Amino acid sequence: MDPTDIHLLRELERGLPFVPAPFEEIGDRLGLSGDDVVARIRRLKEAGVIRKFRARIDQRKMGICANALVAWKPARDGEVDTGNLLAAFPQVTHCYERKPVPGRWEYTLYTVHHGYSREKVVDEVKAVAETIQCPDYTILFSTREFKRVPNVRMQENGGSS
Amino acid sequence: MSTRSLFVPDQTDLAILNALQDDLPLVSRPWNAIADRVGISEAEILSRMKRLEEAGIIRGISPVLESRHLGLHAATLVALHVPEDRIQDIAAIIGSCPEVSHNFQRDHYYSLWFTIAAKNGDGIRKVLDEILKRTGIPDSDVLDLPTVNKIKIDVRFAFLPAQSGVDT
Repeated sequence: MDPTDIHLLRELERGLPFVPAPFEEIGDRLGLSGDDVVARIRRLKEAGVIRKFRARIDQRKMGICANALVAWKPARDGEVDTGNLLAAFPQVTHCYERKPVPGRWEYTLYTVHHGYSREKVVDEVKAVAETIQCPDYTILFSTREFKRVPNVRMQENGGSS
Repeated sequence: MSTRSLFVPDQTDLAILNALQDDLPLVSRPWNAIADRVGISEAEILSRMKRLEEAGIIRGISPVLESRHLGLHAATLVALHVPEDRIQDIAAIIGSCPEVSHNFQRDHYYSLWFTIAAKNGDGIRKVLDEILKRTGIPDSDVLDLPTVNKIKIDVRFAFLPAQSGVDT
C-alpha cells in the first residue's frame, strides 16, 4: 500500500456518496480519476486488504431484533471439523475459534445468528446443533448494543502499520 | 440519522437492501448497475438509498478491511460479570477505548461482551488491564477469549417482507 491507498481507504470508510458516479467524486477529493480509484480498489481487493465492499445495515431497524452469540464446545480436538460445519450454514454470519478459559469456560467456537424473534433463533441453533451433533452450546442473546463499529477504522486504529 | 423512524420499507427497498449486501460492482456507475438488477432507474435507487440512510437502516456503504493488513494482528473477545447497576458506567468506559469495536450487553451471568483488536497480544493486554483497572472488575469475573482462527465472516441479513418495519 502506498500513501495514496491509505488516503483512499480513509475516504472510502466515510462511505461511498450516493451520486451517480461515486468513485469519480471520491477521486476528485484525492486528485485521482474515477478509473484510478476503481483500479486501486481492485488492487486492494486482490491484495486482500479489502475483503468486501458492501452496505452496513442496522438490522434491528428492519425488525431483526434477536441477535445471538452462540458458544460451542465441540468434541475433543473437533475445532476444525466442527468449525467448518458451523461456517457452512448460510445463516451463520460469523464463526470464530477462540481460546477457552480452562476450568471456567470451555467453549472454543463462536457463531453469530440473527432472527426476527428469539424463538426462531433458538430453533435455528437447536437444528444446527442436531445436524452437526454438537449438543454442548450456550446461546448469548444481546439485550443492548453499546458499541458497534467496524473493527478496522483507518482514522482511529488502522493505517498505522 | 439514527433516530427511530416510522418509515416502512417496501418490497423494492428490501430488494435494494438485499442487493447492497452483495459485493459492490466496481464500475463507474455502481448504483445504476444495482438499479438494473432490481428493475428500477438510477434516480429511484439513489432517492431510496437516501431515505434508507436517513431512517438509519443503511449505515453507510464502505469497504470491509482485513485487520491483519492494517497492522492489527491480535484480537480477543472479553466477557465481564458486571452487577446490573454498574453496566451503564462500565460500558461507557469500555466504549471509550478505540481498540474496542463491539460492546454488547448479553443475557447471561457474564453480562458485558466486547472485542479488542491491537497490534499484538501485548497491545491487547494493555487495553484490557487498563479497562480492569478503571472499572475495578476482578480477574475472577473476566473471560478473555483470544481469537485463534477467523473461520467465517459474512454479515448478511435475509430481509423478509412481512417482518420489516417492526421495531422494539
